Amino acid sequence: MGGEGFTEEVIRLAGEEIRTCIQCGTCSSSCSTAHLMDNSIRKLIRLVLEGRKREALASDSIWLCTSCLLCTVRCPRGIRPKAVVSALRQICEREGIRSKDASFERIFMDQIRSSGRISEVLLSAAYALRNPDAAVPIMEMGIELLSRGKVSLDPGSVSGMDEIQRIFREFENE
Amino acid sequence: MDPSERPMRIGVYICHCGLNIAATLDVEELRRFAETLPNVVVARDIQFTCSDAGQNTIKSDIAEFKLDAVVVAACSPRLHEPTFRRTITEAGLNQYMLEMANIREQCSWVHMDSPALATQKAKDLIAMAVAKASLLHPLETESVPVSRDVLVIGGGVAGISAALDLANAGLRVYLVERRPTIGGYMALLTDVFPTNDCSICVLAPKMAEVYANPMIKLMTYSEILAIEGTVGHFRVTGVTKPRYVDPTLCKGCINECSSVCPVEVPNDYDFNLGKRKAIYMAIPQSVPLVACIDTNACIGCGLCAEACPADAVKYDQQSEEFKLDVGAIIVATGWQPFDASRKEEYGFGRYRDVVTTLQIERMLNAAGPTRGDIVRPSTGEIARSVAFIQCVGSRDQTVGNPYCSRICCMASLKNAQLIKERYPDADVAIHYIDIRAGGEGYEEFYLRAQRLGINFIRGRVSSVEEGDDGLYVHYEDTLLGKTLMKRYDLVVLSIGLEANRDAEVVGNLLGLSRRPDRFFEIAHPKMRPVEAHIDGVFIAGCASGPKEIQVSIAQGSAAASKAMQLLFKGEIELDPTVAFVDRDKCIGCRLCVDTCPSRAISVKDTAFVDEARCKGCGTCAAACPVDAIEMRLFSDEQILAQIRAATAVKGEYPFIVGFLCNWCSYAGADLAGTSRIQYPTNIRIIRVMCAGRVDPSFVLEALRRGADGVLIAGCRIGECHYVSGNLHALQRAEVLRGLLKEIGIDPRRLKVAWCAASEGDILARKIEEFVDELRDLGPVGTELAAALPSGKV
Ligand code: SF4
Ligand code: SF4
Ligand code: SF4
Ligand code: SF4
Repeated sequence: MGGEGFTEEVIRLAGEEIRTCIQCGTCSSSCSTAHLMDNSIRKLIRLVLEGRKREALASDSIWLCTSCLLCTVRCPRGIRPKAVVSALRQICEREGIRSKDASFERIFMDQIRSSGRISEVLLSAAYALRNPDAAVPIMEMGIELLSRGKVSLDPGSVSGMDEIQRIFREFENE
Repeated sequence: MDPSERPMRIGVYICHCGLNIAATLDVEELRRFAETLPNVVVARDIQFTCSDAGQNTIKSDIAEFKLDAVVVAACSPRLHEPTFRRTITEAGLNQYMLEMANIREQCSWVHMDSPALATQKAKDLIAMAVAKASLLHPLETESVPVSRDVLVIGGGVAGISAALDLANAGLRVYLVERRPTIGGYMALLTDVFPTNDCSICVLAPKMAEVYANPMIKLMTYSEILAIEGTVGHFRVTGVTKPRYVDPTLCKGCINECSSVCPVEVPNDYDFNLGKRKAIYMAIPQSVPLVACIDTNACIGCGLCAEACPADAVKYDQQSEEFKLDVGAIIVATGWQPFDASRKEEYGFGRYRDVVTTLQIERMLNAAGPTRGDIVRPSTGEIARSVAFIQCVGSRDQTVGNPYCSRICCMASLKNAQLIKERYPDADVAIHYIDIRAGGEGYEEFYLRAQRLGINFIRGRVSSVEEGDDGLYVHYEDTLLGKTLMKRYDLVVLSIGLEANRDAEVVGNLLGLSRRPDRFFEIAHPKMRPVEAHIDGVFIAGCASGPKEIQVSIAQGSAAASKAMQLLFKGEIELDPTVAFVDRDKCIGCRLCVDTCPSRAISVKDTAFVDEARCKGCGTCAAACPVDAIEMRLFSDEQILAQIRAATAVKGEYPFIVGFLCNWCSYAGADLAGTSRIQYPTNIRIIRVMCAGRVDPSFVLEALRRGADGVLIAGCRIGECHYVSGNLHALQRAEVLRGLLKEIGIDPRRLKVAWCAASEGDILARKIEEFVDELRDLGPVGTELAAALPSGKV
């Protein structure tokens, strides 16, 4: 399935250093959404190097990355795992592949539409309801965070909601 | 004999080498040709010139024909030059009155299918050798007396090992150590892998031996300020700092004075886990056993002086300068621990229960701050769960340390075992990327750790967080493919080894080079493990990179034995094939100073070459704008004579003159020969010691005399035998190409190639390519003829 060409393309897009990955897992254990991902960012890199295109592109992780860049800051080999994610997104886009589970994006968008910002708690909770697999760790963490007042249930809202609604409408009319 | 007084008398010996040469080349024709050459009074072809019979023929000819110089046309000079030098010395000639024509590796073996052209080429090679031989001068090897004393810088285990070996062999040693005691980091460790024997128990006797040995002058609390001179005579200036305690009076009781001292500071010898007083003894086993006052801490209350029963405290002690004259220097300046607070995500310095390997070593040490208990510094309670985090500051580009520190895996395996043995119920885990246990008994040591129930978790820890009840370690168990978080009482950061910043001064004084990892570079990464690039300077232990104790000891001994070889006779022979300066010509421009990779040249009014330092590469001679620097062998006039002899006939087209460096490219050409790799006959090779020796005038002369192209070949970039000669060659070639263009010669007629001694095939291919390229360009002068309408050049 042209796996090698695939590896080459990702390397071209995300950098030659990818070949030097030692599978240490620093990226994945630094990753803020790793607990939601099917393949850890580390494993994604392995899949790329192995030329396992179908598995790599089918991975949820590509869509769950929040671009926080912690992986990239910490990788001891100077690899940019986030750039790998971006490369894979680019390839998916070209090949018309979408997240197999678009629920996360949908929830994300719905929240923005209604309040103009994201509430980690509501986002995680809504996502957990649709993805029982991911639910347990999310809930555990959520309860702990809530009990310490680290997060709030009320997302609040931003000023300029009209503007946001307008952007959404315009986009949908296109 | 001065050739100007009477013509040189030269004998030429053409070797058949059995059929190795004679099967391809017409050796009789070569002999007849040689007889016609100027200055040749006898020429012979001999079955095996290197045999006893062959050598005897040369010897008797030297006597009978009163020969001044000998040319042997046979195999490579890299093979038999030493043999024939010995031969002619036995017959009373100076050993440098020999020149070889390499008609086997460069001719019969590589042009097996073109005997006629090969024979023509061999004639040129012989004519070139005779031309050079006619200009040879006897050179005397000078012996100069040297100091047999050795300076060892650094009193860690490598320096101790070097000092003891030298002293036991009867050489005087100055052992200079910055700290108040010798012993280095090894003196602070608890048990050591892979045998788990007590570190100080095995080291202390050696430290005591150093102190007792009359051939060792131990200078602790001392630093080197200046180093001048060269191999055989380094003039060293240093200073001994005042410890404000008279070493001849102090009895080492330490309790008397330190117990009254009111000042407490973190103990640097415990890596700040415990405390010490302003007047202190670094470790109980300190050598010398003399107290020391830390001036940064002391408040000058005077209590210690009062308390000292021996009256040893002397507040008016002054620093003392010392001067040494040593023949060799051993740099054993060691390492420094990686500063763990640079990895902010691990919380060192922020969370008290995050400690380093060195701190856990001190905790485990029965003489340490916790008397051997493994405690949580935050509470003082025994730690029930301990995590070791590997590769902190090693294999990590984010802190600029891509290298593996080599000892941390084993150190953690050892410390984990010690903890598990002391507290069998403790949960001990090692978070690792790879376990590197490559040494005698190391893998078995790993096995032992596994059997003890130590948990090995594969995955690099991304961060450590402090919670109310302990430390939380985040990681991906990469074997399970799960990102996890685990709680521990104590986290030990396996910190890496870094190049010692304090050693930079010494490195700069000596002119040592550094690798990108900042450790000192050794002369060859494999073949010369304890030699520096500077003659008479050796490097041992962690100064050249992270090493285990046993390797450091071995290197200390190796450096000592190298120093012994160098100094034992009390004199060293200076290689006479060095550079010298014509002081009338020199304009003092200093261009040569920066060019010389051996730092052998200094300029007062005119340049001066330190012959003990010069390695004879000739880069300076090529760089000098007024030709004031000349080489005693491979001189300008000799090389120019070779060029003229090569181009005298120009028996084929395209015709190439090649300059090949002795160490890589010439060796590569030899390899092409021994591997029978065939290439075109069009090249005439001139051996130079370094590509950097090639003077622009050589190239111009070759082209002027009708060579269609000139090849300069040297070691691959980064592999130059003289460090940077090939870089100079490259630079010069760039400039030269510009010049060629200006005078109307196609710059492509000058080709530069890099080839290792193992790359005979590459060299052969380069020659082939060049021949093709030159064919496309046409004979030299084509471009000039085209430019001038008259067609005259
Ligand atoms: S942190 Fe870097 S080296 Fe480690 S697994 Fe991720 S990409 Fe590979
Ligand atoms: S940038 Fe993406 S992949 Fe990298 S740590 Fe952040 S969320 Fe994870
Ligand atoms: S003089 Fe200094 S070292 Fe001596 S007791 Fe006082 S503070 Fe301590
Ligand atoms: S450049 Fe080479 S030949 Fe010249 S002084 Fe230095 S080592 Fe000697």
